[in-house]
Amino acid sequence: MNNKLKVLRAMRNWSQAELADRLDVSRQAVNAIETGKYDPSLPLAFKLARLFEMPIEEIFDDGYMGGDNVA
Amino acid sequence: MMDIWEATMSRDDTKPRSLAALIAWPIVIALIAAGLLGGFAGHNQAALDSGGTPLPAWAGPLAAVAFAIFALAIYARRYRSTWQGLSPRKQRYWLTLGFCAVIGGIVGGWLVADQPTGRGLSETLASGSLSPGFAVGASLLWIAGLAIGMVLYHRSIDDHEERAWLWACVAGWYAFIFPAPAWWVLHRAALAPPVDIMTLFAFSLIVNAIVWLWLKFR
Repeated sequence: MNNKLKVLRAMRNWSQAELADRLDVSRQAVNAIETGKYDPSLPLAFKLARLFEMPIEEIFDDGYMGGDNVA
Repeated sequence: MMDIWEATMSRDDTKPRSLAALIAWPIVIALIAAGLLGGFAGHNQAALDSGGTPLPAWAGPLAAVAFAIFALAIYARRYRSTWQGLSPRKQRYWLTLGFCAVIGGIVGGWLVADQPTGRGLSETLASGSLSPGFAVGASLLWIAGLAIGMVLYHRSIDDHEERAWLWACVAGWYAFIFPAPAWWVLHRAALAPPVDIMTLFAFSLIVNAIVWLWLKFR
């Protein structure tokens, strides 16, 4: 799943460690999300959305283009 | 001794210090204390071999414990603010790893102390006989320590590490269920030596560790 985490973090001049501290996760977790190696759990995604004050779907993109089949 | 203490305590203890140093210093202190123990034991053995008078048996443990208490007191004073800067979850995490390291250190130290003199490394770690006291004590420490450690660990890891752990455990389980029955039937057909449960355990543990490290740090 693609995400804008790296851009949003850079806009605030936060390091991965700083963002990790704000989310109370490890730096490795932030790095794994940014590089697309790990999709966060729903609670962590909500935490990110609250931190960046934007909806989850503006941070994460699952590639869904619309249509009848939601899968 | 008091001069060293005063000199150390007069430094800025509120300065934030690195997490790596926070973790590394207790390990260094433990290694130096173990070195002191070994040094005193070696000195006494050399004295006995040369017909001299060894130091009292309590001298080594006393020196090691006194050093450890003094060093840990300085450590606690200097790293208190760094520790307090960690979130409760991270404090629980590092306490859990510290707890597991202490249990491992006790079992390892006890294992070495339990060996007769002159026993080699492979015999010490794998094939040599053990005293019943150590076997019962180490078993209890392993089971109780692992149970407590795992509860603490699962209460302190984040989502990412939990996922790494779960997949590592699946891989470790596969590393057991694939070879174990194959080895067993091969042995029954006299095509392989008897199944060695500790070899399977070690293989499963190694696979678990590799997958955990890969998913956590890749």
